[in-house]
Amino acid sequence: MALVVGSPVSGTVVGLAGVSDPVFSTAMVGPGTAVDPVRAPGEVCAPIAGVLRKLKPHAFIVVSDDGHGVLVHLGIDTVRLDGEGFRLIATEGDWVAAGEPIVGWDPAAVAGQGLSPICPVIALDATDGALSERSQPGPVEAGEPLFSWS
Amino acid sequence: MDPEPNQTGQSARPAPTKARAIIDGLGGAENILEIEPCITRLRTEVRDSTLVNEAVLKSAGVHGVSRRGAIVQVIVGPEADILAQDIEDQLATEEDQF
Repeated sequence: MALVVGSPVSGTVVGLAGVSDPVFSTAMVGPGTAVDPVRAPGEVCAPIAGVLRKLKPHAFIVVSDDGHGVLVHLGIDTVRLDGEGFRLIATEGDWVAAGEPIVGWDPAAVAGQGLSPICPVIALDATDGALSERSQPGPVEAGEPLFSWS
Repeated sequence: MDPEPNQTGQSARPAPTKARAIIDGLGGAENILEIEPCITRLRTEVRDSTLVNEAVLKSAGVHGVSRRGAIVQVIVGPEADILAQDIEDQLATEEDQF
């Protein structure tokens, strides 16, 4: 059964092509999409259920029971903020449900620092053909499906 | 220590030879000022960026290389932290030999 990957934030689906970091726009670590979040304080949620394998203030990875790893990156080059403005809600190693809040942040504050708050959502090490039912560019609510991964 | 479990459908712990090849690709141990793992990449700072050899890095099996002056990002996927540890271990071993 295909894994449905949900949006970690509410905002606008923009795809990876317009992301300024080539690691994402050229799918170096895997295919996926990106969501430009609404500019309001909020929480970034787990895109799938699984183990919170890695957790940094600016990015996290959830790995499903069958080994599918999904990376969510909170903005571009946000490692430079050194955790400033990010609030960890979950703990690395936790099992999390899809939609469970992982990190709190304010995309408007990230943008105010001159950085893009766009969130890439990446199917780690997947082949491009493994993704289907990709959502088209446009508005998305947190938890709504972005793509299916078989 | 147990090997890293297979979490992403890829191979488990990378072979130490991969760490070795990345060190070589970055111009050798003496050229590496700093190496820090992020989620999917190694952020490194090198002494002399002209000594960085992308062909060697790519042959080490990395996904890509992104350079901005002396800051070289080696994109390795989610194994970044174990790989960084392997590299640190190798660098420490080499320093002992001097």
